[in-house]
Amino acid sequence: MKVLMVDKEKCTGCHQCELWCGAEIASTSKEMTMAIHEQPQPVPRVYVEGKPFALQCRHCESAPCLDACPNGTMRRDPETGLIYVNEPTCIACWMCVMVCPFGIINPSSSLKVAVKCDRCRSMGYPICAEVCPTGALALVERKDYRKKKF
Amino acid sequence: MQYIIIGGSAAAISAVESIRSLDRESRIDLFSDEETPLFSRVLLPYYVAEELSKPLLNFRTSDFFDENRVTAHLGVKVTDLDPDTKTVRTTEGKEYAFDKLLLATGGKAIVPLIPGVDKEGISTLKTMADAERIYNMKGSRAVVIGAGSIGVEACISLTRRGIKATLLEQLGQVMPTVFDAEGAAIVQQRIEDLGIEVFTGEKAVKFTGDKRVTGVVTDNRELPCDMVVLSVGVRPSAELAVQAGLTIGDLKGVRVDETMMTSVRDIYAAGDVAETMDIARDTWFLNAIWPCAFEQGRIAGLNMAGQKTLYPGSYRRNSIGNFIGIPAISMGVTQAESCAMASAEDEFREIRVRTKDSYKKLVLKNGKIVGAILVGQTQKAGLMSILLRKQVYVADAIPMLMSDRLSFMDLLPILRRNADQFSEPEYKELMDTGM
Repeated sequence: MKVLMVDKEKCTGCHQCELWCGAEIASTSKEMTMAIHEQPQPVPRVYVEGKPFALQCRHCESAPCLDACPNGTMRRDPETGLIYVNEPTCIACWMCVMVCPFGIINPSSSLKVAVKCDRCRSMGYPICAEVCPTGALALVERKDYRKKKF
Repeated sequence: MQYIIIGGSAAAISAVESIRSLDRESRIDLFSDEETPLFSRVLLPYYVAEELSKPLLNFRTSDFFDENRVTAHLGVKVTDLDPDTKTVRTTEGKEYAFDKLLLATGGKAIVPLIPGVDKEGISTLKTMADAERIYNMKGSRAVVIGAGSIGVEACISLTRRGIKATLLEQLGQVMPTVFDAEGAAIVQQRIEDLGIEVFTGEKAVKFTGDKRVTGVVTDNRELPCDMVVLSVGVRPSAELAVQAGLTIGDLKGVRVDETMMTSVRDIYAAGDVAETMDIARDTWFLNAIWPCAFEQGRIAGLNMAGQKTLYPGSYRRNSIGNFIGIPAISMGVTQAESCAMASAEDEFREIRVRTKDSYKKLVLKNGKIVGAILVGQTQKAGLMSILLRKQVYVADAIPMLMSDRLSFMDLLPILRRNADQFSEPEYKELMDTGM
């Protein structure tokens, strides 16, 4: 499957990805100038943290959130391998938050659902990679680390 | 290959999914004594609260058995398990042969031996029938006995339906297996703010009433009530395992090895019935929680279908979600004293940070995380969970771990020096970034 990779040399920590994720994906208005006034506030699914580095759901091969979800709200798309939250059934128990090794699931108290990146699975291409002004974010094929090196 | 799965909840369904990921053809027979299959026990308090209707309690769709080509025998109890002839017998008197069998019989709610406990209006909260019974109980006052996760959630559920609830706990704090005293105090305050009366350090000694319960007598007072919910814990439903002569642990669960196999070849156990090695406690333990059941079911299923996969061990994880208004998560041991197996050489440390609305605590054993409590700010709880699971040395990174600005990328140096333990591609590819 494909994964989003970040080039640390190119990531300047400008937060464009976070801003656009919030406006384009999370908001109801889909309009930057209106999104910033929305209540509850839209929750972006990408985190520009640390040094800086844009981190979003890694869509783990063996995903703890899938094991922890008690009602099948957390699902894996069998075709793309992408993990997504079926928001209408989320009961805000935060069991997925409890086990996510990357800390990228937001227990949104205002929305009462677990908010996480589904890599824009219904849009074809992730918005964060599209808007990144330096091209730091790229969709690449996941490496097979089990392959023996000769 | 003929598979038999006994049980129909998390561990059983997870095993079916993992068997089917490797073996689409072989026959799977599943036996469950619950008539309503595929519902999530974790959600029963939501049903009592009238927040979820029955169909919404399901964790898999109703066509699950058809889709996965499982012959489901619902409402059928397995009464005999013969490991020599590799057969089981059911209440219907029928016999079924197996090549691989999974015991996922779960647990039973403990009914405490308190005089009058058999009166009407008193129920545990474990099965669908229990939830319906409590939902249909008439009256305006309830006493919930036992302030564990289920007890607290039951209390809040009843309160949301306008019933005046009192929570009784014989130990000195609420959620004694989940939080330390400080964490429990925050949770208790929140519960009381919802209008629930909480009495800790107080024991129920008698139920009053003729046929129906009319009150609970404790060692301090009498609480008049119309209904009682018993939530004092669960014990493994290990009768079949005992009868079949499988090795049973000190805590009365079925002992399993790293492949989830019991002491008898080709018979596996997973979920609340299984006694597994606990990573945090470094000893055998019963971790009767949903995530463990699901993980164990998956590992058992893979091994049953021939793909050898090892279980790293279990550890307790609890989240009380939106029930009390603030998120609260706890895992592993809650305090150094509860590490029963500590030897004289083991060194324990507890690190706490408390603000007005949050509490964070780590318990370290020999520099490795064995417990964590996060109240208020919980989004990074999973980072503690993975460090606990992998048992890596973090004593030199405490200020970073306790910081409220902690991010996964901060952990990369720890991951890199333990690269052999973080071999999954999702970790490797981030280690590759050179951050």
